[in-house]
Amino acid sequence: MSFNEARDVLWIASILYLFAVGFGFASTYFSKNNFCKQATLLAIIIGFFLQTRGLYLRGLEISGCPLGNNFERIQFITWSLIVTFLILRLLWKLNLLGSLCSGMAGFFGIISLINARWDHKYWIETSYQRLFSDPWIELHASIAIFSYGIFALLAIVSAMYLIQRKSLLSKKSGIWGTFLPPIHDLDHSAFRLLLVGTLFLSLSIIVGGMHWIQHPEYVTSFKLFITLLLWAGYSILFFLRYSNRLFGSKFAKTAITLFVVAIVSMGFVNSKSRNENLPITSFQPQDE
Amino acid sequence: MSNSEKSKSLHLLGSSHHIADLAVREKISLPQDKIDEFYNGLSALPGLDECLLLNTCNRTEIYGASNNGFSSDLLHKYLSDFRKIDPDFLHKHSYRHSGEKVVRHLFEVTAGIDSQMVGETEILGQVKKAYEDACERNVSGKMLNRLFQKGFQAAKWARTNTGISKGQINLGNVLCEVARRIFGKVSNSRLLVIGAGEVAESAMEAFKSRGSQAITVTSRTFDWCPLSRRKPDELAEKFGGFALSFSKYQESLHHFDVILTSTASGRSLISEIEVRKAMKHRPAKPLFLIDASVPRNIDESVAKVDNVFLYNMDDVSAIANENLKSRIAEVERCRNVLSKKAVRIWEQMTHHAMPSSSASQSTASNS
Repeated sequence: MSFNEARDVLWIASILYLFAVGFGFASTYFSKNNFCKQATLLAIIIGFFLQTRGLYLRGLEISGCPLGNNFERIQFITWSLIVTFLILRLLWKLNLLGSLCSGMAGFFGIISLINARWDHKYWIETSYQRLFSDPWIELHASIAIFSYGIFALLAIVSAMYLIQRKSLLSKKSGIWGTFLPPIHDLDHSAFRLLLVGTLFLSLSIIVGGMHWIQHPEYVTSFKLFITLLLWAGYSILFFLRYSNRLFGSKFAKTAITLFVVAIVSMGFVNSKSRNENLPITSFQPQDE
Repeated sequence: MSNSEKSKSLHLLGSSHHIADLAVREKISLPQDKIDEFYNGLSALPGLDECLLLNTCNRTEIYGASNNGFSSDLLHKYLSDFRKIDPDFLHKHSYRHSGEKVVRHLFEVTAGIDSQMVGETEILGQVKKAYEDACERNVSGKMLNRLFQKGFQAAKWARTNTGISKGQINLGNVLCEVARRIFGKVSNSRLLVIGAGEVAESAMEAFKSRGSQAITVTSRTFDWCPLSRRKPDELAEKFGGFALSFSKYQESLHHFDVILTSTASGRSLISEIEVRKAMKHRPAKPLFLIDASVPRNIDESVAKVDNVFLYNMDDVSAIANENLKSRIAEVERCRNVLSKKAVRIWEQMTHHAMPSSSASQSTASNS
């Protein structure tokens, strides 16, 4: 275990996120327990700094933005999720949101760490082209992944909405119903997240488009199609919600579905990584 | 038992809802105008240094502290004589505790776990009032002072660290809790009450106490609400709200977030078509409907409309009962901890030197 090894640091960050979930639920259940409340935020913040360090170390290793394989993309999305949560926390607070965000970040973080096939060393391959050496495409990728983080948060808020709604319709005051935020607040938060996420995704497409005009050979038409489809999906969702044509549970379900589509399609939108299925067992270059 | 323990003790004679039904409690309970007379006789009982009367609708309890071999039989005889009830009848419907058990009992009373509605907080206020009354009369001394101060602390601990007060059990408060889960702040939601039964009044009271400024009342018979025997405009005035003409409420449904019906009309007052029409004006904003009438005033099919939450009295009562169950589940845990605390406090009380009766009374009067 070393603080100079990206994966080691990311392991600790993921575990801290899972600790935050435990503290978060404990602080919610024992509402007067200030220690648990502070411990939740502290665990998330420390986890976030460690995750930032882990991604930074990986960035140094590949000399660019670490978005080249599924492991890096998942780590980057969960990092975006946490940074969005920490920023939004200053603006408005939703009970249990921190716990669920850190739960998602911890769970997917560990899944990505366990699955060695997702973290192949694409940068040591001879066929690897340093796409991210271009600052424009790096900016495009980081903004796009950041918007994915916001959409992840939107999916969590939408799931919270559906749980609270179900609890209200079942006419029982279970633990979830009692502690989750009101559906009115969740609905408002989801709308604001959708607005911000769509803006970031649009910005990333504009930046990516500028690069594509100069180097169309880097982008496959399939990637272009998937990206625009996703952008169109979120934009349509935004306008439907804005015009009050899609709201409530249908809106929440659509937001979750779109996020699942975004995650599933993520593997397709990276056109430059090759031989992604080569597994690694350690960080020592295998081919050297 | 040490000498110090022998020389001082606590006594309790009481009757409560656990052991006596309402009719019996009425016989044992002390009328307000007899309290002075009761205290005069009680404090004059030989051997009783300190005393305190807790007299509520659910319990009548006499707490006493003595320095010598005082017998609680005296308390029993005094109460039966004072209330002119048969001693055997009182014996059957009362309980007696002494020493550590008194401490434990008081802790359970102040914490609300001995109450009829487990976890209710009203009892703590009543105990505080009884204690203040005893202090003003100079009948509570060092021992009872310490006992009751510790009782208040125990109550605070129980409410903070256990779930005995979690969840609302009053119907008006349950409605507010559901409204909170839908709209967030209850103070921002607009309430329309159609008719005005007891539940409606309870709901209005709960909404008002949470800062709701927009309470509107309407009724079929605008001049008279048969269920509450009040005029709607009187009710509106009582809760700082507005009275709405019954002919206009259907076209104003979309203005309200929470609508409660409580009439004896026996027919449908709000149909699915009317709700769908109202929701067109507020598609993304939820609507909370409560049908507190039997037979129902709101069509059941209204629940199918998106963003509409329809509850009837059975639903609200089920939540209240569910909350009560979860409180009861916490009682045993709370009781165990309070019991340990009671043992500790009793040990502290019995291992300190007792001041004289006069000194005790002086302390009480200064407290």
